[in-house]
Parts: sequence; C-alpha cells; structure tokens
Amino acid sequence: MTTTSPNQAPAGEQVVATWNNRIRLRFEIRGSGPALVYLHPAGGLFWDEFLTRLTQHYTVYAPVFPGISPDDTFAIHQLDDIFDVVLAYEQALRSLGLENVPVVGQSFGGMLAAELSACFPKLFSKVALLDPAGLWNQEHPWSLEFISGPPERLPALLFKDPTAEGPRAMFPPPSGPEEALDQAVTGIWTLGCMAKFLWPIPDRGLAKRLHRIIAPTLIMWGEDDQLIPAAYAQEFGRLIPHSRVELVPDCGHIPQVEATDHTYTTVTDFLADGYATSPAPRAQSERV
Amino acid sequence: MKVTYIHHYPYRHLPEDFASRYEESVVTNPYFELVDPKLVHEDLRSALDEAMYAARAGFDAVALTEHGQSSYDMNPNPDLGAAALAYATELEGIETGIYTVGRSLGKSREPLRVAEEQAWLDCLSGGRLISGFPVGLAYDANVNAGVPPIETRARYDENFELILRAWTERDPFPFNGRFSQYPSVNIWPRPMQSPHPPVSVTGTGNPNTTRFSLQRDLGFNLVVLGVAAPNTAQRIFDDMWRMADELEVDDNPYRAAYAQSVVVAETDAEAERLYAKHVEYSMSRGVGHIPMHRFALPGGISPQGLRALLGQAMSAPTAQTAPTYRELVESGAVIAGSPATVRERLADQAHSFRIGQLLANLQIGSMPTELTRYNIDLFSTEVLPHLRGIWSEYDRDNRWWPERLGGRPVSTKQADLTGARLK
Repeated sequence: MTTTSPNQAPAGEQVVATWNNRIRLRFEIRGSGPALVYLHPAGGLFWDEFLTRLTQHYTVYAPVFPGISPDDTFAIHQLDDIFDVVLAYEQALRSLGLENVPVVGQSFGGMLAAELSACFPKLFSKVALLDPAGLWNQEHPWSLEFISGPPERLPALLFKDPTAEGPRAMFPPPSGPEEALDQAVTGIWTLGCMAKFLWPIPDRGLAKRLHRIIAPTLIMWGEDDQLIPAAYAQEFGRLIPHSRVELVPDCGHIPQVEATDHTYTTVTDFLADGYATSPAPRAQSERV
Repeated sequence: MKVTYIHHYPYRHLPEDFASRYEESVVTNPYFELVDPKLVHEDLRSALDEAMYAARAGFDAVALTEHGQSSYDMNPNPDLGAAALAYATELEGIETGIYTVGRSLGKSREPLRVAEEQAWLDCLSGGRLISGFPVGLAYDANVNAGVPPIETRARYDENFELILRAWTERDPFPFNGRFSQYPSVNIWPRPMQSPHPPVSVTGTGNPNTTRFSLQRDLGFNLVVLGVAAPNTAQRIFDDMWRMADELEVDDNPYRAAYAQSVVVAETDAEAERLYAKHVEYSMSRGVGHIPMHRFALPGGISPQGLRALLGQAMSAPTAQTAPTYRELVESGAVIAGSPATVRERLADQAHSFRIGQLLANLQIGSMPTELTRYNIDLFSTEVLPHLRGIWSEYDRDNRWWPERLGGRPVSTKQADLTGARLK
C-alpha cells in the first residue's frame, strides 16, 4: 500500500488498496496547495470548470467509485451496501494521510461525504454538500428516474437550462460510433454501479446519523433542482449541527456547473476559514 | 413434440387511443382511469376458462407467466392460477402438465415461499408441475419489486440454490444467504416428483442464460418480441446448439422451447379478418407498448453484455411505430392462417430451431373468449396432431417433462449445488 503525504502528492493519479485488498481505489489528483477531497456524483467524475478552478488553490483528491473504471468493472461486486463503501473509503483516505481535510461532495458524492463525516466525525475538517442525496420523505418524494427513466430526459432532470453552455459541455457529442459505444457502455454501467446504493428509494437511514457530524458544514442547493427538491436543503440544515444552507437561484441539480461562479465563491469562502457556522435554528426550521 | 398452451392475462378493453395517451402498458398506466372492475373479473375468469378449455382439448400442458404492475398480463404470481388449474384438472381427470413458466427468481424476495408454493402445486397436481424460473424482466424485478438491477442475477443464483435445496435435502438445514437467511429450512410438503419437478429457465438472448441452462441440464424457454423475432430466435438457437456441442451436452430437442403466437382460421384471409385487430391491440396497447428502458436498466447487464447489445442496437435502430398484423405475419413473428399454413410453418420452425417444446400463445391482446376458443379448437384438431410426432425418436429421453406424463426423471445436475451459476 502506498502512503503519500497529501501536501506532496504529485498531480496524476494514485491507486490505493483497501477493503482487505478487494478494492483498488483509484484517486485522480490535480492541482497544488492543501488537500481537498472531492466525491463525484452518480454520473461519474468530470473535471469541470468548478473543479479546475479549485485545483488552483487546492490539491484535489477525487476517488473514482469502484466498478466504474473500464479496466476494473467487477470491483463493484466487492461492496454490498453503503457501510461497505464508507469503510472502504475511510481506510483508503486514511492510508493516503487524508485526515482532517475538507471535502466537497455533489449529489451521490454529497451523500457519501455526509455518511463518512457521520461515521468518522474527525475525518473531514469541513464539509461542503452540493444537492446531496441521502434523505427522502413522503412530503417531497423524489425518484431515481435519472437512472430508471428514458435517457433523453436526463438533461432536463439535471439542469434548469440544459441548453446553456455548461450543461451542454457535460454531454459532448461523440466523435464517432466507437466513441458513442464507449460513452454509452461506461455511462450506463456507472449509473448501474451507483444505483446499487440508492435503489429503489434513496434512503439508507442517513437522517438518523447526520447529528454525529461535528465539522462545519455548508449545504448548497439549486433552488430549481428537478431531481432532489430544494426542500431537502433545510432538512439537511436542521439535522447537521454546525451547518449553513445556501440556496442557489436559477439553478438545477448541479450548481457547480449551472452556477459555477456562485458555487465556487461560496465554497472557497467557506473553506477559507473565518466562516461562521452555527447550529441551525431548530425552532424556526420546518420539517420538510 | 410437447405442445403447451400459454397465454397472458391481459386486460382486454383498453381504449383505442391508449398508445397516444399513455406512455406504457406497465408501471405507470393508471388503473382506476382505465379499468372497469367487472371486466377485470371477466378477463381473469375467461383466462382460466380458456386454459381449462385448452387442457380438455389435449394440450400437453397449460402455462402461466408472471408480470406485476402490467395491463398486458395481470398475473403477479403464476402460482395462483396454477393452483386453480391444478385442482380443476385433477377434478376432471385431465392428464396435462401445469407449467409455471414464469416464477421469477431475480425478482423474488421470498424464495422459500416460492419453494413452498411450487412443492404444494406439485403435490396437489399429483406430480404434474413443470417449474419455470426466469430471471424476470427489468421493469418487474427492479422497478416493481425494487431489486437493484446490479443484484438481479446474483439474487437469482442464491434463490435458485435455496429452492432446489429446500426441495431435495432430507434434513432441516440453516441457510445463510446474502439476500435471505433462514435458521431452519424444512418445507412441508416437499415436491411429489422425485427428485423434484423439471426446472426450466427463460431467456431472451443473453448467452449466459443459455449456457446456464445447458450446464445445469435445465429446460430453456426462449421469448423474443417484435417483427424480427424469428431471425433473432434462429440465431439464439443456433448459438445454443453450438454451445451445447462445445460443452459436450447432448442435443436433445426437448431441452428447448419457443414461445410462439399462433392464430388459426379456415383460410389465411379469414385469419386476418378475425385476428388482425387483436394482434395489433397487443402491439400498440399490450406487450408491444413497453419502452426500451423498461427492459434494460443500468446495472442489470454487465459492461461486456452492454457492448454487445448496444453495438447491435446502434447498427439496427428499432422502429418507432408498432408493427402491423401483416408485418408480423410476413416475418413469422405471428404464425397465422389456415391449418395447412400454420402446420407447415410450425413444423419448419420446430426443425430449424431444433425445439422439442412449443409454447403456443393462442390468446393475444383483446381476443374475446369465443374467438380464443375457436382458435384453440382449430389448433387442437387441425394442427396439434401433426406436431406430436416431431422428434419422437427422443421421446424416451425427455428429462424436461413430468414422469407421470411420460417424461424421465430430471438430471441430478439441476439440483447440483456445485453446478454452474447464472451470473
């Protein structure tokens, strides 16, 4: 097992054996500066503008979820439930010396960041959750239609304006039939791997565990999120002790793409310390 | 050749504009908006009546499928209808098989109940049960039953082993599975057939399923849909027999079954006049009106399988409109016409596919019960007798049929715990 100090890690990638050597977790590592962990959404890891800008001030460690790398698709069968994932990730992060570092998680990655912080409260120094999955209640039902529905509906589920430049860059047209096939196979299998930990109702009991998070937490949410209703922002805020909720206007499920400046500024200000968080005013927040 | 009567339990009264008003005939089609409960009662009653009618007409077995939350097949558990048919055929002394083609194991969250129900059916029918354990369609296993797609086949394997053990082990045993745990498995009754009823698996083209059936000596039922069905089926059966050769498994045609829609009338023209609208109902309002994403969900098919399937799909895009009766008959997806036409086509098919079992689907879409009986009458008198003799040289080694009905005991490979897995 390779151990590297996060502050000296070279750009590139590092593969870490974890979960009793049953998983080889691949980290893509870019940028320079203090370490930051980024946990990607169910669609996979994309180095979008938000992430690229983060690399100017941080060394971004982005683990690629087991099973979705084309050369190691069977890795997914080593993880049966979300607790297997949490333990495998914690061990991998620890072996890289990534403790007491900030984490940013988007959607599925947000759920994973919250699970990790709840199970290992000292693992992360700060937690930024962007439209995280993990909570579900009857008043605001949301579905896995982005996985189970027709693929052509996906852009409208993810973005307020799927025709804008950022969203379109997420779905680049393939250069030819070979690439189209590669994209389809990888895209579908990636969703299939992540679906294992969301299906059929994306609720693994995170609501019971969020109170254990001690790190200051920022919750950002696109006000017009068509996938996971923004009502859940307040619910995360209510359940995580030292948290702050920031709603992003005119924005769907992926603020880092649809409101890049706003998201980047808010997240980096939050990470740059001096950012006051306080327990959410429980009496005032309504249960969603 | 063994000829089984098979049909869905469709709601036969959907409106003409169903396809334009509703996206699909499964999962989201609104029940109360579309249904008159009296007609549901009538349709279920008709379906059982028709199966009994076929049993009396001399079919070798009557078969049931399983599809939850669907209007094209209101049959959430085939064991229910099978119980009624097992009892009624006992009462009338009809020597016919009770064939639950669909008791989906990728879907089942209560595998021990499956073992119990099937054993019970076998005892009630006096050893006439044939057990079909398909994986389950994606919309049914993953959406209706909520099984993560990536776990469907693993669940199938585990459930399959539990059921075969529950049937055959002499002493109570604990079962520590990933998906179910039981401290003491000791079902009452055990199946009447020894060592257990013949087991089949249904495939739609995944070579892993075909291989599994050969390695475990299971019956293999093929179901394919659409205009191109005959070509697809030919390719899959060719692959199957090639695979059998590679695996050094015998090429006994009785191990293979094909589900075929058949409509018979006095003449070819009369068949079109009588049946066209009901076949087209099935295409635009029934099983033909299920979007592709209901058949394949992310995680259900491995990246290797996806590459093969998507490669095919991208080179031959599917049609956007439902096929017509003529298109279906022309391609052979539906075998239709006079008794002479139908006989000839089915005999050709039996030989070219090398199938010893035909699953003859004689009630299609909105076909009313009188017309279904007419179809059964003509088929059983003018067609069935001509198919019986096909593959008679293999009759003495039909391991996929109950002994009481002329079959041989199943291979011990079926319940071999060290045997191949579906995966």
